[in-house]
Order: sequence, then structure tokens, then C-alpha cells
Amino acid sequence: MTLQIERSMLQTILAHLEEAYPEEGAGFLLGRSVNGVRRVTAVFSAANAREDAARNNRFLITPQDTIRAEDEADRLGLEVLGVFHSHPDCPNVPSEFDREWALPWFSYTITRVDGGKAVSTRSWRLKSDRQGYDEEHLEIVPGPAD
Amino acid sequence: MPQLKIPTPLRPYAGGHAVVDVKGQRIAEVLQDLTQQHPGLKQHLFSENGDLRPFVNLFVNDEDIRYLSGVDTPIEESDQLRIIPSIAGGLTTPAPSGIEEVSLRKVDHGALKTNQMVIITLSILAFILNQPLLALLVGLMMAMGTIFGVPGFGFLYRRLLRPLNLVQADILDDNPEPHRFAQGFGALVTLGGGFALLLGAAALGWGLVWLVVALAALNLFAGFCVGCAVYYWLVRLQVPGFVKPPPPDTLPGMRPGR
Repeated sequence: MTLQIERSMLQTILAHLEEAYPEEGAGFLLGRSVNGVRRVTAVFSAANAREDAARNNRFLITPQDTIRAEDEADRLGLEVLGVFHSHPDCPNVPSEFDREWALPWFSYTITRVDGGKAVSTRSWRLKSDRQGYDEEHLEIVPGPAD
Repeated sequence: MPQLKIPTPLRPYAGGHAVVDVKGQRIAEVLQDLTQQHPGLKQHLFSENGDLRPFVNLFVNDEDIRYLSGVDTPIEESDQLRIIPSIAGGLTTPAPSGIEEVSLRKVDHGALKTNQMVIITLSILAFILNQPLLALLVGLMMAMGTIFGVPGFGFLYRRLLRPLNLVQADILDDNPEPHRFAQGFGALVTLGGGFALLLGAAALGWGLVWLVVALAALNLFAGFCVGCAVYYWLVRLQVPGFVKPPPPDTLPGMRPGR
């Protein structure tokens, strides 16, 4: 399992997550899946719809934002491949809460943001029995802009 | 025939289709038709008791059915239907691989303290009365407690001291496993001391017994459980079988706060 992210897209993701700090930021990964290799070529940043008090440890994307992301993917001829989000000042491994809400098939990237600076990103997929995650190989690749 | 759009994560369970033609006059019938066409979708859309999962949202022409008539919402031939998953997540209890979630349980420290008090009292009595067999009995009770996952002298707390209100319950969010490990360690040392005494090694034997008394007293009076601290060190070293991280904001081995 490999998730490729074009460098400029990763930079867009990290900029969004650093801006959201100390709250959690999130959005969608758009791209194509070819022969089991997923390649993220566009991102759709979403607003964190959680009430203020919980935003530093929770994110919620409204169905309306999800519809917009799907429509954007259709418009670009891409698929929604997964979701990115941040864990401010905490390890970038999925939490129990993440697991309860996780969807099958999606790639979930989690970026650790320490003191407003993105330090590392890892990617995970829910196991088919929903009992845990498999880590996915994350590859940063040059895009057309590089 | 109304068309239903499937979100990407559920497409593998819908034969890879992005859009499925569905039959039905109401949402409930449409869902039934959908899961008949693609049975693999059922477990992701419905919980075990047959309700729609909370993260499954159904939209009719961009209107959430929750704001229409739910699963009784009528469907027209030309309606555009969508399944939209709720996307949520976030930080509660990060789970580094190999280390379990922070899943604290209620641990009655009143029972633990009673156990420590009885261990200390009987061990000192054994020393004063020079009774190696009493030391062995203390070690045996601790070993039995470890095997059954309870404080060895917990029965005194449950049957006698607590009903008579002589000891207060002290229920804290904590891990039971480190306390079990600590008692097991104490049992081994006390049993070792008892056997050393039986073999005539008085200094070694009573030394081991007093070591356990000192550790139990440190726990009883200062709230620091050395065996628990060792347990958490073994977790950090990723020793198999040692998986519970210490309670949050607590020095490993210290009694957790309220």
C-alpha cells in the first residue's frame, strides 16, 4: 500500500494544518488510484465544524463540505482518496476516536504539529475488520509544478 | 429510475460503481434495494441492530433526509440521491503501535492499601515472633492474589473492614495490571525470604521479608508503587505482555490523582 503525495500538495496540507494550530485541521485528499498506488494531486481543505472548545482535539467536516469535495473531485476527474488531519503536539498515530469514525478504504494522513510547526506525516488505513490500522507507505513525489 | 451516488470509500463494496440505479418509493425501500444489489454495503451502512450508522448521511437533492422525513422520505424518479459519510476524528488517546490505548479502569485503592497494611503487619509479626511459616503464608497469600488478579488479603477488606466502615473505599482511574505485577514481585521475594529462613539463612531471609515491608510501606504511606514503576519501565522497553501506559499526568508508579 503506497500513498504518493505531490510535493506542492503536501506543502498546501502542511500550511493549512500549521495555520489551524493549536486546533486540529482537516481536509480531503483528491487524486487517482492506479494499480494499488494512490497519488494525491489535489487537496480540499475543510473548515473544522466542531464547537470552539473541542477544536484542539477534534475535527468534524460537515456533509456540505464533503459534498463540495466530492463535486470538486468529479469536476477534476479525480477521486476522493482520503482525509488529512493534524494532531497538535501529539504523536501522529490514529486515536481510538479516529478509529470509531474511520471509513474503510480511505487513506488517513495524520500530521504531528508541534508548537505550530508540522514535524512529520504518516498515513494509515483502517483494517477491514475495523479493529485497527495498517500503516501505509507515504511517498513524496514531484508534481507538475516542481 | 432514481440514481444513488456512492462515496469513494464505499465503492469497493458496490462493485466499484460510483452511481447505482435504485428502485423504491421511499428511502427505506431504496436502501433495501441497494443492499440487495450489493450485500457487502450492508455492514458499513447499518449497525448490528439494523439502524443506519451514525456517520451515514443520506441526501436527496442536497437535502439531508434527517430534515425531510427520514427513511420515509418519498422519492421521485428524477431525484439525485447521495450517501455522504460524516468525516470526524481527532485526538483522545493516541495509541503508539504495541502500546495499548489509555483505557483506565476503576481500581479501589482502599483494597490495595488494606492489602499492604496486612502484609506489613503480618511480616513484622513473623519477624518479632521468629515465625518463618507466617512469612511463607504471607508470600503464599500474595501469590494466590496475583494468580486470581485480586489483592491477596482483599477478602479482609471486602468481608470485614469495608462492611464495618473501618476502611474507606478509594476508587481511582488506574490500571490494575501494574498492581498485580507488583504483588507478584512481592510474593516471589517474600516466598524467597520464607524458604531462605527454612534453610537457615536468617539474615538473607529476614532481609527479603523486610524489603517487601519497606516497599509496601512506601506504597501505603507515600503512594509510590515500585513494582508498578518497574511495570511501566518494561512497557517503555516494549517487553511483550507489558502494554498499559501510565495514567495521564501521573509519574509512573505514583498513585493517580482524582
